[in-house]
Amino acid sequence: MSTQTAALDRVEGAGAGFEPRIVGFLCNWCSYAGADKAGTSQLKYPPNVSVVRVMCTGRIDPQFVLKAFEQGADGVIILGCHPGDCHYKEQNYRAIQRHRILLRLLCQLGIEVERCRLDFVSAAEGEAFARIMAEMTEAIKKLGPLNRAAG
Amino acid sequence: METPVRTGIYFCNCGTNISEKIDCAEVRRLVENMPGFAYFKSQDFLCSETGATAMETDIRENRPDRVVVAACSVRDHEETFRAVLGRAGLNPYLMQMVNIREHIAWVTEDKRRATGKAAGYIRAAMARVALHEPLEKEMIDICPDVLVIGAGPAGLKAALTLAEAGRKVCLVEKGPVLGGMPVKYEEVFPRMECGPCLLEPVLGEALHGPQAGNLEILTLAEVTEVIGFYGNFTATIRQEPRYISPELCIACAECIAPCPVAAENPFNFGLNRKKAVDFPFLGALPNLPFIDPHSCLRTTRNEECHLCRDACPVEGAVNLGDAPKVVSRQVGAIVAATGAEAYDCAKLPNLGYGRLKDVYTSLEFERILAASGPTAGALVKADGQPPRRIAIIHCVGSLDPNHVPYCSGVCCENAFKFNSLIAHKVPGAEVTHFFKEIAVAGKEESALLEKARSRNSTRMIRFDDISQLTVSADGDGVLAVTRERVNGKPKQAEFDMIVLCPALVPSKGTGAVAQLLELDTDEHGFLEELHGRMDSARSKVRGIYLAGTCQGPMDIQKAVNQGLAASGYVLSGLVPGRQLAIEPVTAAVDARRCSGCRTCISVCPYKAITFDTAADAAAVNRVLCLGCGTCVAACPNAAIKGNHFTNEEIYAEIEQVLS
Repeated sequence: MSTQTAALDRVEGAGAGFEPRIVGFLCNWCSYAGADKAGTSQLKYPPNVSVVRVMCTGRIDPQFVLKAFEQGADGVIILGCHPGDCHYKEQNYRAIQRHRILLRLLCQLGIEVERCRLDFVSAAEGEAFARIMAEMTEAIKKLGPLNRAAG
Repeated sequence: METPVRTGIYFCNCGTNISEKIDCAEVRRLVENMPGFAYFKSQDFLCSETGATAMETDIRENRPDRVVVAACSVRDHEETFRAVLGRAGLNPYLMQMVNIREHIAWVTEDKRRATGKAAGYIRAAMARVALHEPLEKEMIDICPDVLVIGAGPAGLKAALTLAEAGRKVCLVEKGPVLGGMPVKYEEVFPRMECGPCLLEPVLGEALHGPQAGNLEILTLAEVTEVIGFYGNFTATIRQEPRYISPELCIACAECIAPCPVAAENPFNFGLNRKKAVDFPFLGALPNLPFIDPHSCLRTTRNEECHLCRDACPVEGAVNLGDAPKVVSRQVGAIVAATGAEAYDCAKLPNLGYGRLKDVYTSLEFERILAASGPTAGALVKADGQPPRRIAIIHCVGSLDPNHVPYCSGVCCENAFKFNSLIAHKVPGAEVTHFFKEIAVAGKEESALLEKARSRNSTRMIRFDDISQLTVSADGDGVLAVTRERVNGKPKQAEFDMIVLCPALVPSKGTGAVAQLLELDTDEHGFLEELHGRMDSARSKVRGIYLAGTCQGPMDIQKAVNQGLAASGYVLSGLVPGRQLAIEPVTAAVDARRCSGCRTCISVCPYKAITFDTAADAAAVNRVLCLGCGTCVAACPNAAIKGNHFTNEEIYAEIEQVLS
């Protein structure tokens, strides 16, 4: 991916104390509940992801993601129910479709695709939620701040 | 900028659960410069009775326009605090709750960062809640009556249960007789009870019980149209003529003998012949004959035959001028119990079905064993002699990627049941089971296998793939099963009769009803449940419930239980005199912006969106919409608003959540 080279260049510029700002779009039924589970299990994870709750990942308009980047997010993570487990039957598949298309657009905008992750967390997967929060934070730290001039 | 609304913030310390990690005073400092900030109050346990009462009084006194509650999970207490707003005289939807306990306090090491994050959440909630609109639950009148489609064990049990609860039920059955598949069975596993006898108490109650007046049974009838939605459906039903009046007929059978026709008997799969006017079978309920237009000379040859009417002792009981009727029924809910059928064994030509004599399906074999069947219960071959060697081939079409991939789960029990019946009818007859897999679970069912195995006359032969089996016949009518083997020569064994146990597949009626009711079907064509485990008697469409083998292969016990479950949903969901509360968090189309592309209709999982041709725009049915918001995101023209999750509200939240 051509944007990766640019990203590597920018890592040089990222200070050691860089704390990425990430927006997390969570569906109400699985991933928000998974985050609750991480909470009740008192699992510690970096606080870099700020949650915006929607009823279903199917509600997530790709423009929400663009808006988050515009507002200063260095990364966006979308978490839904596992495929086949959607509370609204199959709407997480719509989210997967939209995410794929969105990644192509982000490429064209010069935003590394790694900055917009889609994953699945069930209501029982508190540990997975905490792990994904840590992974995402680490991944964006490596990428460095989003170079808005390029976008 | 417009005059900001006044927002009151309630911060819950949750004892020390939150306050230990989040500095309340600092949070206040970080949010008090937000537009619309009115006040900030903290409580130790906001959800407690003391906390909630204090909050209610406070809202009454301070009259905020909007409220933000920073506490625990929305999933725990959003309803609690909405109720507090309601009691305080504020619309419950003018609140936004943020989860600073599970999502921040309990998971964040650094107190400073936890505090900053909590402030960001509250600022985002303030920005969002300023845009909230008051929403009201809509109350609609409902009809508590029910339409049940299919009168097999599942549909019958559902209909009877509902009628006993005082509901008016219209039970629509395509055939001339009630009872579904089990009425064809001489004996039913695991306890070897006679099929019709098993159903008799249910049928008796339905036809003559104290609540029978609540139950309208329409045989020879099919639902042709359903419009409306949960609580208010209108069903159109077409009933074919029976030519025999249920009110007048005394079931004396005088009409039958004079009939000159001898047609294939569909109830016995054409294994014997019957008159054009006859009972579907001996003991059929409702207990009255019907004239089969497929064989009656009046319809097939346009002849002016009226021998049956002439023989009838009751004036008007035989009504040769009977015509189809179309009736309309108002119901609040629908139970689909349209059943399954056997996979077509002719699709496996190597097994000789339909081509070779004495090769039967298990259902045909049931009829041969049945006292009410073509041989009056004598187990005999086509030549009238009893079979000494019987092969039962399991997994016909099942567990087979070329046919149906699943195991039907009931055929093995049935096949091992045959062992006992055969031993009883032809003592000493040898029974050989050819099987791919054996599935007999259950506290009573597994004994069937053990019992079959314990007989000296039983042999068990496993095959890898059913294509390895070939059934052939010599000139004397002796059948042979040849089994190819991976290692070694093919093996051949001779038999007098072969019984094929086909997979259960959705009935043709099930497919038709799926189309009619716009129900989703699974990859096999069975009606799909809302949730296969937790909500297996509900379809995805509100107010339409599923019961029995239209959902997938199952035994009588499970089918009956599904019928009961479906009636439970109706009884708890539609209560006479109680209105249906419609949640306001739904989608709404702005008809002026709608371009008519119908994208929304294609993405809605609940068939909640239709195209209103008069308005030239899509329209959301609020009863059916469950508020997932997928159509809102899918609309290319931003013509759909997701109530309580509008684009503007979510944008406002995104703008502030990182601040």
